[in-house]
Amino acid sequence: MATERRKPFAIKAQPGFGLVAMLCFFMLYLPIAILVVYAFNAGENIALWEGFSLRWFQSAWANETVQEAAMRSLFLASVSATIATIVAGMAAIATTRTAPYRGLTFKYAMINQPLMVPEIVTAVSLLIVFSRFKVWTGYSGIGYLVLAHTAFCIPFAYLPIRARLENMDLTLERAAADLYATPWQAFKRVTLPLLVPGLVAGYMLAFVISLDDVVITEFVKSGGQETLPTYMLGQLRRAVSPEINAIATVFLALSVLLVTLFYFVNRKKN
Amino acid sequence: MKTMLRAAVAGVSLLLGVGTALAEGELQIYNWGNYTSPELVKKFEEKYKVKVSITDYDSNDTALAKVRAGGTGFDIAIPSGNFLPVWISEGLILEARPDQMENFKNLREDFVNPPFDPGRHYSVPWLWGTYGVAVNTKHYSGDIDTWKVIFDPPDELKGKINIVPEMGDAIYAAMTYTGGTYCSGDKEMLKKARDVLLAAKPHWMSMEYATQEPMVKGDMLATSDWNGSVLRQRLVNPDIRYGFPREGTFIWQDTVVILKEAKNVENAKLFINFIMDPENAAMNSAFARYANAINGSEPFMPEDMKGAPELGLPDFMKGKTIFSVACPPDVVELYTKIWTDVMK
Repeated sequence: MATERRKPFAIKAQPGFGLVAMLCFFMLYLPIAILVVYAFNAGENIALWEGFSLRWFQSAWANETVQEAAMRSLFLASVSATIATIVAGMAAIATTRTAPYRGLTFKYAMINQPLMVPEIVTAVSLLIVFSRFKVWTGYSGIGYLVLAHTAFCIPFAYLPIRARLENMDLTLERAAADLYATPWQAFKRVTLPLLVPGLVAGYMLAFVISLDDVVITEFVKSGGQETLPTYMLGQLRRAVSPEINAIATVFLALSVLLVTLFYFVNRKKN
Repeated sequence: MKTMLRAAVAGVSLLLGVGTALAEGELQIYNWGNYTSPELVKKFEEKYKVKVSITDYDSNDTALAKVRAGGTGFDIAIPSGNFLPVWISEGLILEARPDQMENFKNLREDFVNPPFDPGRHYSVPWLWGTYGVAVNTKHYSGDIDTWKVIFDPPDELKGKINIVPEMGDAIYAAMTYTGGTYCSGDKEMLKKARDVLLAAKPHWMSMEYATQEPMVKGDMLATSDWNGSVLRQRLVNPDIRYGFPREGTFIWQDTVVILKEAKNVENAKLFINFIMDPENAAMNSAFARYANAINGSEPFMPEDMKGAPELGLPDFMKGKTIFSVACPPDVVELYTKIWTDVMK
């Protein structure tokens, strides 16, 4: 990796870098900033500022549909992220603690497939398959959403866990084995504790991804299975009230919080 | 170990909602988001001891795709009238005969026989509205009951005009303005409509759906729009008026239907009869701010909607409106070509 280069290409030193970067940040964050500001609007309109107020947060908080959708989103995210983290953890161990063999790369690709396949394709295929199941079994509960969310959360949980496993000091595991630890003991006493930051990071990433999902949920959900993002999407067809801004603001805060936590957990390992 | 397993299975099935009491007193409604009055739902729940659950969709296409795939668990859906022929011909809807229900007598006569469901064997209207123009009369005091405002605008409005980029609606507006008939594939007629659109385009500032804010603020002075949207604009900015284009326009309506796969057919029928009651229809209108098609609902309407000029149909519009319908695919193709030219 450490090849000798006299003058590495530094993108930061290119003319106009600062300007382009500023412009990008501006374009990315300005709309979000406006959305957040209007969440605190006292008026009923999302474009006319009528003073500061928390009324829309209160009205969103008191809205039963929002409450139900939010609880469902949190339930779905925690269950899916848990299952996804367990599965991804097992997959990560299986793909890193092994001698490289033919087909290993293929397996990586298979595990990460939800990252490559366009969401709408997954959504439509799940719609078709799950509706068959719904008709055959007569069961149309939240299990389908859990399955779908788990599936697309796996690669997001997998990547940080695998990164952690790859960066881990292998000599520790070997030392454990040398000292007559059974593979299970070595795993439980050495690998797993060292792996915890990776698992936590993976879990949080999967949680946020599940929490934010719209397209797949919209297609898979059955009656009475509104999540917060699909509820918000439905509200947009007609006049948008600042209540949506308020919900979006809370949502944003939650996502930022989790991603920040993810960052700190991840940083600790380095 | 066995008991643990059993406990785990019980726990999981509890989480997944298997075997919870779904059978009695349930109704699953699949509707556009932000379109179902919570008070109306509560009243229905209390009256019939039925637990109602609302699920949203954001477009006719999503709704159709999901219902077509099946197994949705929905009892009632509320697609737009122009989509109804597809739903009916694909056998997605139960022939529930709302025309034989007790409250059907309350339905406005002009809504009894729409082309997409003659005699109302499948559907009843949920809410309806018209497509017209919104004008800020502080800046223009001339005639607003015409498509001219959009297609041959007065100088006061030039450069401050928007058209809602809904292809079918925009082309229909241009066709009525030039004396054409909707869903006609006649090249001569279509050419006229296209020329009008292209000639008017330099006077427009935008082609956007979001009209509320710029109209209210006065950044935009005129736009094509739906009546309920203009009502909301006027309530914030009293200078805004809704014009009914006398050349002709659309009436759209969303329609309540029972799905063939419905599990709670009786409750669904109760609901359809329920919303044809004048007081309940008014509740629905009050929430969504669009007109209902039930006679006698006016006294129950909220004050700011009673006699709202946007919601009715003035006499001069008699015979000038059609229910929006889906055009044949080959005609739609021609429209798409025109629309592509306009959007360029």
